[in-house]
Amino acid sequence: MTLRTPHRRHRRGTDRRPRVALTVTAVFFLLLYLPIAVVVLFSFNGQKSLTVFKGFSLRWYSAFFHDNVLIESLGMSLRVSLVAMAGSVVLGVALALGLVRCRTRLGSLAGLIMLVPLITPEIVTGVAAMLLFKGMDITLSSGTVMLAEITFSISYVTVILRSRIAALNPEVEEAAMDLGATRWQALRLVTLPALLPSILASAVLVFALVFDDFVLAYFTTGVDPQPLSVRIYSAIRFGVQPTINAVGTLMLAGSVGLIGLALAIPRLFGRRGGLDLLSGK
Amino acid sequence: MAQRTPSGALRDRRGRSASGTRLWTWLMLPGTLWMTGFLIASLILVATLALGTTDPLGNPRFGFNFANIAAMADPAYRIVLLRSLGFALIACAVCLVVAYPVAYTIALHGGRFKNLLIAAIVVPFFANYLVRMYGWSVVLSDGGPVLKALRAVGLADAHTKILQSGVGVIAGLVYGFIVFMIIPLYAALERMDLSLIEAGRDLYGGPLRTFFFVTLPATRQGAAAGAVLVFLPAMGDFVSAQLMGGPNQIMIGNLIQDKFFQGQNWPLGSALTMLMMAVLFIGMLGYLRRTRKDEAEAAR
Repeated sequence: MTLRTPHRRHRRGTDRRPRVALTVTAVFFLLLYLPIAVVVLFSFNGQKSLTVFKGFSLRWYSAFFHDNVLIESLGMSLRVSLVAMAGSVVLGVALALGLVRCRTRLGSLAGLIMLVPLITPEIVTGVAAMLLFKGMDITLSSGTVMLAEITFSISYVTVILRSRIAALNPEVEEAAMDLGATRWQALRLVTLPALLPSILASAVLVFALVFDDFVLAYFTTGVDPQPLSVRIYSAIRFGVQPTINAVGTLMLAGSVGLIGLALAIPRLFGRRGGLDLLSGK
Repeated sequence: MAQRTPSGALRDRRGRSASGTRLWTWLMLPGTLWMTGFLIASLILVATLALGTTDPLGNPRFGFNFANIAAMADPAYRIVLLRSLGFALIACAVCLVVAYPVAYTIALHGGRFKNLLIAAIVVPFFANYLVRMYGWSVVLSDGGPVLKALRAVGLADAHTKILQSGVGVIAGLVYGFIVFMIIPLYAALERMDLSLIEAGRDLYGGPLRTFFFVTLPATRQGAAAGAVLVFLPAMGDFVSAQLMGGPNQIMIGNLIQDKFFQGQNWPLGSALTMLMMAVLFIGMLGYLRRTRKDEAEAAR
C-alpha cells in the first residue's frame, strides 16, 4: 500500500455508498417535511376540508386577521417574546461572563443552577412556576408568562454565550487594561463588541423559542388573553378549524425566518462566532 | 505570587485580580438569584406540596403526610408510569435506529451539503411544536399518505390504524424529539477518525462487522447523549398522547396536567411530578455512570 494523502484516504472511507442508510435518510426527510407541507398546503384550501384540497384561496388568512381573539393572542405572544428576550439576554450575558471568568465556588454553584432548566422537562418547570405564582397569590397573566419564560431562557443565552466567551483571548482585555482602561471599560469597549454577533444571535433564538413555546405558557397564562400557541392547542384539541393552518403557516414562516437570521448574523458581521448549532460542538 | 501590572491591579499567579473577581461575581449574581428565586424555589415548592393535602373544596393545603406519595403505588398510576417509561424508551430506540443512518449519511457522504442538510433538519424543529404535531397527526391519520403508502405495498390493511394507538404516541414522540438524537450523533461521527473505518476494512472486516465493531463503539457517547436528550422531553410530554393516542394511551404528563387543570388536586399532581423527576434522576445517574466509565476507559 502506498502512502495516501488524507484527502484520498477520506474518499476511500466513503467510497461505498450504503444503500440502506441513504434510503432511511430519504424517507426521513420526506416524513420530516410532509406534516409541514400538509399544514401549509391546507392553509390555502378553498374548502373547509382538512383532507381534500379544492381550489386555492386566502380565506383562512383573512379569517385569521379578522379574528379578534387570535389577533389579541398574537399581540400577547409578541409582547411576551420581546420582554423575555430582553430580560434573558441581559441576565444571561452577565451570567455567562461571570461563569467563565469567576472561578470561585460560588461560580461553580451558579453553573449548576444554570443547568437545571436544561435537564428538567418543561412540564415540571411549568407546574413549579404555576404553583409559585399561585402560592404568592399572583394572578396569572401575560406578566407571569414573561417571568417564567425569562427564567427558562436565561440558560439558553448563557450556554450559547459561554463557549464564545471562553474562546475569546483574555489578553486583549488585559491589553486594554494595561492601556489604562478600567475593568468595566475593557468589558464594555472590548469584550461586549466582540460578543455582539453571538448576543444578537442568541436574542433572536430566544425570541423564536419563546414565541413558539407552549408548555410553560400553558401553565402560567391567565384566561384572557392567551398566547397564540395556547390558543392553537385548544383549537387542535377541540376540533380543528382551518384557520389554524393559516396561523400555523404564518408561525412556521416566522420561526424559519428568525432561525435563518440567527444563523446568518455571525456571517453578516463577517467573522466566526454566534451559534454553534450546526457544527454540533 | 502577587505581582503588580501596569494598570496597577494586584493579580495572583493565574492572573486573577481581586477587583476582577468582584466584578465577575456581581455580573453573575442577578441571573443566579433570579433562577434561584423562581426555579429552585418553585421546585422546592412542588416537593413540599407533594406532602400536602386538599381541603373539601379542592384547595391545596400544606401538610406533612405521605398519602400522596403512598398513592403512587396504586396500580393505576403504576401502569401509566410503566407505559410512559415504555413509550419513552421505545421512542429513544426508534430515534437511534432512524437517526444513526441519517447522521451517518450526512456526516460521511454529505460532502459540501453537510451544513445545509443539518440546517434542513434543525430549522423545522424551531417551528411550533403543536403545529408540527398537528401536521404529523394528519399525515398519520386513516386517510393520510403514510397509511395509503403502507396499504399500497401491502404492509397494512384497511383496518390498520396508527392514531389512537401506542404506535401513534411513539410516532409523535419520535417526530417531536428526533433532532436531539441526530445532532449529537452527527457531532460524534464528524469527530470520528475515518481512518478507523479504513483500518477495519484493511483487517478484512465486512461493512457490517466494521460498523458494529468500529463505527458504533466510536460514537457510543453521542448515542448515549442523544438518548438522554430524547428521553427527558419524551417522559414529560403530554401532547403526543393527547393527539396521537386515545384515552388508553395516556402518559404521566397527561396525569399531571389533569391533576392541575381538570382534577384540581395539586398535591397529588405535585407527587406525580416528583415521581417523574425521580425516574428521570435515576436515568440521568445511569447515564453519568456510563459516561464516567467510558472516560475512565479512554484515559487508560
